[in-house]
Amino acid sequence: MNQINKLIKDILILLIVSTLLGISAQAVLPNGIGLKTDITVVGDDSSAVAVPSVAINPNGEGETTSNISLQNAYTAYRNASAIFFDARSPEEFDSGHIKHAINLPVSAFLDSLPYLETLDFNKHTITYCDGEDCNASIDLAADLKMMGFSKVNFFFGGWLEWQDAGYPVERSP
Amino acid sequence: MPPIIENILSSKYGELFVRIVQVGLGVLFIYASLDKIWHPGLFAKSIANYRILPLPLLHISAIVLPWVELMCGVALVSNQYQRAALTILSGLLIVFILAIVSALIRGLDFNCGCFRMDSEESNMGFRKVLQNVGLLLSCALIEYRVWVVQPESRIKFTRSN
Repeated sequence: MNQINKLIKDILILLIVSTLLGISAQAVLPNGIGLKTDITVVGDDSSAVAVPSVAINPNGEGETTSNISLQNAYTAYRNASAIFFDARSPEEFDSGHIKHAINLPVSAFLDSLPYLETLDFNKHTITYCDGEDCNASIDLAADLKMMGFSKVNFFFGGWLEWQDAGYPVERSP
Repeated sequence: MPPIIENILSSKYGELFVRIVQVGLGVLFIYASLDKIWHPGLFAKSIANYRILPLPLLHISAIVLPWVELMCGVALVSNQYQRAALTILSGLLIVFILAIVSALIRGLDFNCGCFRMDSEESNMGFRKVLQNVGLLLSCALIEYRVWVVQPESRIKFTRSN
């Protein structure tokens, strides 16, 4: 019984010390975060979803990425003024995607660095995934922003909203 | 546990082997904690990707978890608070395994946030489950040695004169 009591006491000591160190460290760390989870609402009124702010801007500094509406995404597409990155898996991409979009799954981001470095970092980039049920577009946008792309938006309506609007799509051969 | 295993674990070489496993486990958890401590925002993002934890608990988990890993790692290496560290780490590993399996079942694909925040090799996959099961078995081995084979004292290096 004494051993169990000592074990519980030791566990509490480790947990309390860890908690105090963790909280104190946030004041010192360059990328420290607050105890309270900051929430950002993304998406249009019809598909607004609350996501943690760290998902959009994990380092809490500099310019953040933001959502782009269907209309603005389409305008950028029509004017060929933006590169569209599809953050879904290659299988989903092959079965249908926004016309001229480039497949860049978040999990393959590091593999794609050599290719991404050949692009114009000042070019407007728009990321998307399925729609409001996925966060891959937000993650990819955050990664691109951290890499140095100056104007990055995530199109939260995603593939489903684009498809529903009847805008240009294509399948991989 | 078969008597032969107990005999091996209670021998000098068994003791040395378990000690090496314990230090290795401690060093691994210290290593795993450092990148998370340095990038709490990225770690919070990794936790959020699992879509398990309620949002109000996100930041506090991302702040405390890496320090728990660090303190437990230091405890294992220094052989202090060893049982408490093993109990905490076993609990954490079970939670990690369940979280990864749940993410795999739901078809989620992202960096698991296990060791490094920016590493391609940290991608979600069945390999990550096996990795965590291996770590859990290592904890179980040390706990068995500490609680059953040699319950009266912590593992100590015995120096032959």
